[in-house]
Order: sequence, then C-alpha cells, then structure tokens
Amino acid sequence: MPLGAPPLFQEDEQETPLQQLIRYWTNERHAPDILPTEEDLLSRLLDHIRSQSETVQLLRSDPSSSEEEHFRIMLAQTEVERVKFVVRSYLRIRLFKIEKFARYIMTNPEVQQRLSESEVDHARRFARLTDQHFYHSVLQSLPESQQTLDDQPPFVPSMVTEPDKTRAVFAHARQNCPPVRLPDGTALKMQKGHISLTPYSVVEQLVTRGEVELV
Amino acid sequence: MALPRPLRMSISPPELELIASEHLIEIVPLIAMEKTAFISGAYGPLRPPNKCRIPLWMATNLKLKKKCHIVSPDWLSVDFLQERLSEETSQQGFSRLPFRFAETAKVVLDVASDDVQDAEKIRSLLKDLREARQAKSRDGLSQLDHSELSLPNLCSMEINEIRPFFTQAMDVFTQLARQPDADNP
Amino acid sequence: MDNDYFSIDAILAENQKIQCTFKVDVPDMGHLGGGSDRDIKALTKVPIPIWLAYIVLYSDWADFNIPAPFGPRVRNALKAEPRSVKLSALVGAGGLWYGFGKMIMDILSEEQANGMSEVLTQTFRGRLTEVIDQAQHFATLGPAGGASSDAAQFREGLDVTERELFSLVQDSAKRTKLWFEGNDRARR
Repeated sequence: MPLGAPPLFQEDEQETPLQQLIRYWTNERHAPDILPTEEDLLSRLLDHIRSQSETVQLLRSDPSSSEEEHFRIMLAQTEVERVKFVVRSYLRIRLFKIEKFARYIMTNPEVQQRLSESEVDHARRFARLTDQHFYHSVLQSLPESQQTLDDQPPFVPSMVTEPDKTRAVFAHARQNCPPVRLPDGTALKMQKGHISLTPYSVVEQLVTRGEVELV
Repeated sequence: MALPRPLRMSISPPELELIASEHLIEIVPLIAMEKTAFISGAYGPLRPPNKCRIPLWMATNLKLKKKCHIVSPDWLSVDFLQERLSEETSQQGFSRLPFRFAETAKVVLDVASDDVQDAEKIRSLLKDLREARQAKSRDGLSQLDHSELSLPNLCSMEINEIRPFFTQAMDVFTQLARQPDADNP
Repeated sequence: MDNDYFSIDAILAENQKIQCTFKVDVPDMGHLGGGSDRDIKALTKVPIPIWLAYIVLYSDWADFNIPAPFGPRVRNALKAEPRSVKLSALVGAGGLWYGFGKMIMDILSEEQANGMSEVLTQTFRGRLTEVIDQAQHFATLGPAGGASSDAAQFREGLDVTERELFSLVQDSAKRTKLWFEGNDRARR
C-alpha cells in the first residue's frame, strides 16, 4: 500500500440488497465449491422485481403520462431487466454446480444444507436421472459387483466428483481479516482492501463469513 | 448445460461493466423528475441545474437521450492519471486506482466524451496506464507458486484478464508440489 | 491436469508406459509385454501402462525405473536451460509431460518424489513467463506476426499443460480487447 494513500474514491455508502446479491453472485461464479444459498435475499429481490414491474404496467396503461413519467417508466424497466439478469445468472451458476456435483450433494447432508429446498430436489432428480442413464446404457451389462457408481478404488479418483477446493481464486479483503494458514506453512493476514491469489481452501472460511469476497 | 464454458470459472467483461454501472456518479440533469424508488434505492429528485447522484447505468441511459450531463469523476482527469502513470513507472507496486476504474472510464468516455475535459488525452493516458500495469502483472508471474501471490491495487478488469491463466498456473504448481493435503477434515 | 474420475485427459495420460522389472514369475501374463512369451519371468523388463503399474508395483511384484523423459540427461538439460527442452518430443504430441511426471512422483519414495517435484516445479516456473509472453504476443499480432525461429521452436516443444495455458492467454486477451475496443452503446 503506498504511503499517504489518498482519501478513498467515493465508496458507496451501504451495501444495498442488490449489491449484496451481486457479491454473492460473483463469489459463486469464482468459488469451486457451492456456497450457502441466499434464499431470503433472493426472494426479497424477486418481490421487489414483481412490485416494480406491476407499477410499470400500471403507469404504462395510463395514456396521459407526461414526459417525466415516460422517463421514470423507462428507467424502472431497465433496472428490472438488469436485476433479472443478475438473479438468473446467480441461479444458473448454482444450477451448473448442482448438476456437476449432484451425487456428491446427495451423499452429503452438510452440503444439502447449503442448498434451497428446490435445489436439493433438483440435485436428487438429476442424480437419479444420470444414474438411470448409466445403468441402462452400460452398467446393466456388467457383472453386478461392477455396477456401482460410488467406488473409491485405490490410485484412481473417486467416482463421485467433488469440488476441488485447491483451485486458485482472487480474494479481496472487505475488512481486516484474522490470519489464515497458507499451503507453504506461513500465515497471511489480509488487511482491508488487500488482494491475493491463493487456493480457495485458504480463504473458504473468510468468504463464508463475508470478510473476503472473490473478485 | 446450465452455463456456457467460458462463464463457468470467470466473469465476462460486459458482466463486469454491468456491476460497475451500479456505482453512483454525479450528473447535471436536463429534465426534472420526482424522487423515485428503484430496486437499488431511491434517486432524485432531479432539478436542473442541480447536481444529483444516480447509478452509472441510469446516467448512461439519460445521457444517450440527451437528458443529462455526466460529471466526470475526479480521478478521470489528466492531472490525476498523469500522476498515477509516473508513479506506475517509478514505483514497484501497482498505483492506487478505483477498483472498477477501467469499466467506469470506458462507459463514461463512450457515452459522454463531450462532458469530459481532454477526453482524447485521457484515453491515451488510460492506455499507457494499462500497458504499464500489464507489464507489472507479467512480473508477478515469476513469483507465482502454489501458495499465495499478493497483488495489492490490481483492479477488477485487470484481474479478470489474467485470471484464466494465473489461476490455472497456480493450480499446476499445486499439483506439482509435495505436501500433505492441508484441508483433510 | 484435473483429477476427475470421468476426465478423458486423465485417462489418456495413464496410458503412458513405464519400464517395470519383475521380481517374481507371473504365469500366463506374457502378452502384457507385447511379446510371444507365455509367462513373465522374474527379472524381465516389461513396459506397462501407468494404470496397470499402480497395482503391480503396490503388490511388490516389480520395481520400476524413472522413465527417460525424467532421467538424468533430461534433468541436466532442464537445469541448464528449461526453455531449450522440447517437452512434447519427450512424451509425444498431445502428451502431458507434467501430468506424467506427477503420476510418477506419486508412486516414488518420499525422497525421490521430492526431487521429482522440484524438477517439475522448476521446469514449469522456468518456462511459464515465456509461454505467457508468446501467447500475448500472438494475441496482438495474429498468427502471421513474429515468426522468430527460436520462438517457433519453443512453441512446438510445449507440452499439453502449457498449450492449455497458451490458449487461455489468447482467449482472455481477445475477450478483453473486444470489450475495450467495442462501443455499441450509441445504437442501444
């Protein structure tokens, strides 16, 4: 950090619910593991989208709307589309992980707690679907002892794909953080604003607690 | 698949632009508008010629319809950028810039270059800054290992550009390193 | 170099063969060596793919030598100048020198494995900047630009891990450039 750092560039006051969702969205995009669902925040924003859209509809049906009104409608509509994009993208990255790790999720109650009910349901059905597909297309022709899909054979990776938490991420400290242990045995104490490239496992706890965001 | 391949482990530049466009910027409105509740907050009232702070996406929108002037941020000036550029070439670390400066600067210059003093000069300074900083992140490569690389003041778009190969290279170092797995439960 | 059960790359990488010297007679398995002998006799050297070697070595039926791509000659050349060695020539086109090395490392004894890790890591580090530089150079110039023969030789010698990095750099540079140079806002 340079000496006598200039006053912060106009930091935005408080994190709004939308900015929160954006942070969770980018965290989710970068983290190799699936993060806890932000169901409450999401449903609040969805409610907001709904009511905002209704207002827009109402105003639009009014033929006497002024030029000012016209701009308000246009801006409100633009924002609704922007927020919808973030919401969709957030759900899609989770969906991608849920399908990729469906078997892992279904064998780990701890991981299931990070998912919403409908996400667990999707994981269950997706895992069943692929299992059945494997069974009908290949496994049923093999001897019974070789029909399983959860072997942990020696020297070979497990048949159940798990998130690789050693993958590197860019971590940005949102506040001063307690020290974490690095793979080389040393400790890292991230000060507010610090940016590090490091394996996800190093900062996993800090991300969960919101002290670090992935950028 | 739920997500196209390039988006699975990274973010696209337009997405970063979308994020940066949530940040507030000052405008001089050319139309009046009552204070209005949006999803991200309440903005206004707009009362020409009083300045007002609104999200960048909203400012962009109004500017394209010629309904406002954008007040160029303090850091988007020849003096400030010139100073950062000389810092960049005389000092080792990255100089300090707003985290999303590249996105913000591009949006403002794209839609409101007539509101920015010395826009051409600023464009060329931004380009020089970008190149000087790129050379530095290249130097960071030689310090890369399986453990940690500190990159203070590296900015959003810069991180995004080096992300695919910096993370992949670190993953390779991790695979090649000899060490007991630290995060076995 | 991902470690996923269903990874095709990982499966292909395990087809690399290593020279095993059998310690015991193994009846009816002569075909493993590709010859016409019925049995494998003790002290015979047989090249065996890695996926099979794991269990053979683990069961103490055979010993193995560190394969030539990681032998003393290559190590010395790498020590002198990591960028001068054609890794692709050591493992064949489409070969994973680092991936192969990592597999060998995992079946070596502690001390040898440490040495192996060092060779692999130092080599990767010694070549990394050049890989990235060339990729960035090409991303800006296009394939026609910069045809220095040293650079071309180096590129031909990249192993698959490095090739992946090379294209990651190019794709990212292109994506970013496209954004920096584009401006479709006026039309929106």
